[in-house]
Amino acid sequence: MLTALWLVPVAGGVLVGLLPRRWTRPLGLVTSLVALALAVAVAVLFQGGHSGYQFEEYVPWVRDYSISYHMGIDGISLWLVLLNALLTVIAILAAGDRVGRPRGFIALILMLEGGMAGVFLAADLLLFYFFWEAQLIPAYFLLWQWGESGREAGSVTQGPTPSAAATKFVLYTLVGSLLALVGVIGEYVYGGGGAHTFDLRTLAAHPPSEGIQFGLFFLFALAFAIKVPLFPFHGWLPDAYAVAPVALLVTFAGVMGKTGAYAMLRILIPLLPHPTLWWDWNAVMPVLAVLGIVWGALMALAQRDAKLLVAYSSVSHMGFIVLGIFAFNQQGQQGAVLQMVNHGVLIAALFLLVGWVAARTGTRDRTRMRYLAPGMPVFAGVFLVVTLAGLGLPTLNSFVGEFMTLLGAWQYAPALAVTGCLGLVLAPVYMLRLFQGLMYAGPGEQLPPPGAHGAEAGIVRADVASRELVLLLPLLVLMVLLGLYPYLLTQAMTSLGFPLPVPWR
Amino acid sequence: MITYAAAQPVITYTFQQAGSDLRQIAPIATVTVTLLVAILVDLVLPARRRGSVVAVISVIGLLVALGLAGLLWIQGGGHSAYFGFATGDNLALFFEMLFSVLGILTVIVSNAYVRRRDFLEAEFHVLTLAAVAGMMVLSAATSLVTIFLGLEVLSIALYVACGFARRDTTSQEAAAKYLLIGGFASAFVLYGMALVYGGAGSTRLTDIAQRIGPNDATNPLLILGVLLLGVGFAFKISGVPFHQWTPDVYQGAPLPVTAFMSVGTKAAAFAMIIRVFDYALPGLGAEWQALLALVAAGSMIVGNLLAIVQTSVKRLLAYSSIAQGGYMLVGVLAGGQRGIGAVLFYLFAYMFMNFGAFAMLTVLVTPEGEHDRLEDLHGLADRYPVLGVMMSIFMLSLAGFPPLVGFFGKLLLFIAGVETGWTWLVIIGVLTSVISVAYYLRVVYHVWTPHAEARQVDRAPGPLIAVGVSALLSVALGILPAVVQSAGFVGASPVAGR
Repeated sequence: MLTALWLVPVAGGVLVGLLPRRWTRPLGLVTSLVALALAVAVAVLFQGGHSGYQFEEYVPWVRDYSISYHMGIDGISLWLVLLNALLTVIAILAAGDRVGRPRGFIALILMLEGGMAGVFLAADLLLFYFFWEAQLIPAYFLLWQWGESGREAGSVTQGPTPSAAATKFVLYTLVGSLLALVGVIGEYVYGGGGAHTFDLRTLAAHPPSEGIQFGLFFLFALAFAIKVPLFPFHGWLPDAYAVAPVALLVTFAGVMGKTGAYAMLRILIPLLPHPTLWWDWNAVMPVLAVLGIVWGALMALAQRDAKLLVAYSSVSHMGFIVLGIFAFNQQGQQGAVLQMVNHGVLIAALFLLVGWVAARTGTRDRTRMRYLAPGMPVFAGVFLVVTLAGLGLPTLNSFVGEFMTLLGAWQYAPALAVTGCLGLVLAPVYMLRLFQGLMYAGPGEQLPPPGAHGAEAGIVRADVASRELVLLLPLLVLMVLLGLYPYLLTQAMTSLGFPLPVPWR
Repeated sequence: MITYAAAQPVITYTFQQAGSDLRQIAPIATVTVTLLVAILVDLVLPARRRGSVVAVISVIGLLVALGLAGLLWIQGGGHSAYFGFATGDNLALFFEMLFSVLGILTVIVSNAYVRRRDFLEAEFHVLTLAAVAGMMVLSAATSLVTIFLGLEVLSIALYVACGFARRDTTSQEAAAKYLLIGGFASAFVLYGMALVYGGAGSTRLTDIAQRIGPNDATNPLLILGVLLLGVGFAFKISGVPFHQWTPDVYQGAPLPVTAFMSVGTKAAAFAMIIRVFDYALPGLGAEWQALLALVAAGSMIVGNLLAIVQTSVKRLLAYSSIAQGGYMLVGVLAGGQRGIGAVLFYLFAYMFMNFGAFAMLTVLVTPEGEHDRLEDLHGLADRYPVLGVMMSIFMLSLAGFPPLVGFFGKLLLFIAGVETGWTWLVIIGVLTSVISVAYYLRVVYHVWTPHAEARQVDRAPGPLIAVGVSALLSVALGILPAVVQSAGFVGASPVAGR
């Protein structure tokens, strides 16, 4: 069952790549829908409150090194697997006919889904690493071959070429993840009480000595921090997000960053609970998270390019997730998981909206777009909901996650929570400014005569099509649902594959 | 002063024993017989048909050798033969299988190549067979004498093969360079062997292993001998700082030869290093390990850094192979079943990914010559997407990405390294791997760069089959590494159980 969750997309991707072009879209869509159906089925059959992995699969892989193909799902990974499956469906729909060479694009995006699903499902450290690295290959090709840059793509500045952005992304990520390979080997040699195993459960039960943990923590944390990305390792993100086509960003921004945060919760916290030698790494991470929250928000304020604004807001939001994880209490960590899902839903919607505006106006420069609301009323309404979700309005999803992480952080260190709140203060500023600037006229400004909406950018009066609205609808429903009833997710979170140092009850 | 009692020569060699001895070297004998048959056939047949017939004979002979080695392997491996001069143990068999497969791939690729470039066809295959025979001898040799014999057979065949493009001055240059430097290296090895013999009193590796312990580290003969052997070996695996010949020779030699020697020479040299250092001289471990560790670190750093600035794919892959040799040395340093097993696994993996990459270049060959600049790859993926995907597979596998075989290769080497305390080398290996991704991706970049007038590829089936098989195995062994990995452990067992 769990194998199917990653194998169906990968096999579907290979098939899409091999079959003739006219099969591409139906087959891609069917594959992603099947994967989603499987994920939903797992979620329905999932039993909350049980401890231990569910739907476990275990096959020895390389016996002499006790590497096993061990998959399991628990209250944390379940939701990320669902998110991954849902966003891939949306990405494939969004690719529609906007993306050139759809065969390769859809094939690779399906393989990316498979790789990320594998990361969430692996219960063996090496298997985890295997998928972790493997997801890079489709991501690289997608970013490079389908990236768009320059003014034709609506960018404010010329910006990096797709090839440069993709290479930067890969090299950044690889520095971290290859050092993490040393970490994986180090866990194998020093962890697990000398058992020489990659089994996460055993490794969590017998962590190595604190000095070793200190070293291993660095090796792992760097990889995960780059992937999230955590301040100050976010250098690849603006370039990569700037060139990535919107359809790709739905999963690239929506899910891939979460693999890093998930890995922190799954690897760093349980396997290396006391990484203390010269200093305590556990105290460093939340500080970086808070710095990221503030830095991301400030950078978002400074952007003219709407896509980059959303990209930096993502840095800020991901900071909350890391802060929650390193608050070391139930509220913080459960809030972090909630926030991972929330942010995935939110960022996908935001990028889709920004992409549609850019496609209609031909620019992503927010200072060159105005008065769009009268011409596109439906769009304005949807955009408002997403904006409000983005700035953390209660009853919409982000509020719950951010509130829980801050609550957790307060119990851990009030100073961190207070500083982190700056992010909440700044979010309305940049989000509302984006919304108002695009949609309405400024105070005291003359409203343009009817029929001249957004004349500056030569806008056509083209509201969102119902086809596009269908894409957003599940995301909007989720925003409200998770905002009002987060218990839906948290109820299952107590069933963990193996106990975390912090009891989740 | 070490004194040894004179051995009592007992010369009783029965018919039964002769049969048993021959069984141990059956694969080598098969290749040698094939070689002789090929030469005779070459004399008899009309010139037009020589090439294909000799190629078919070569492939059949190598397949038989592969089968025989496999049969002995299934029977649990052979034993020492000819009074300890050669062996049919699992290590030898592993390498014999590897060289047979490599030989088959080479013949398949070069058949189309030599025809396209109008070379002497039959002679080319005969040289390949000779080199394979030399490599097999080297891997089966358990005496300093036979080791040198194998080394020379292999080298001399390759000297000639490198200069096979007679009207091409770079090929001639490569041959001359390889001959001179190879001669130097052989001399180093020979001198080192003489000194080790002087210190140990025997050329047989088992005797040396028994007689030399850590206490002999004060014996200047042995220290100097180990040093010279190490230098000679480093030449052969193109380890830094003895690597300078590699890019020139790899670039100048005809492509199938480059493909063949980049894998074969390296594998044979590693067989030799494992036998001599890991098996015969563990007593002087501290000495040769210090030397090889420096070579390993240098190879990883220099190889990977210099590869970045290359504009010729052949040179780029030459530097990459220098770096790959550095990774493999980590396994040699770690020793034991896991270390040597990892080296064997890596060599097997390396065969497919590296050979595949070179074989891919042969499809771009035209009668005018080779096209190995990075720009020559433009449009390849546009026009032939399957070839583009396969070339990307080779590069990503060499870079060590899962789910390709290069990932497990590196993983097993690095595990062995960390387990035996070579963590600093592993960290160098990991960091230089990041650098390596930059140039491997550069090749991928050029492959996928569109170009209006993409080159017409040679549609001869041979190279395409070799490329396809290599690509398929690069993926398959990455997903199911256990088959070759456990074979590597079995292969390592004769030299690791100490």
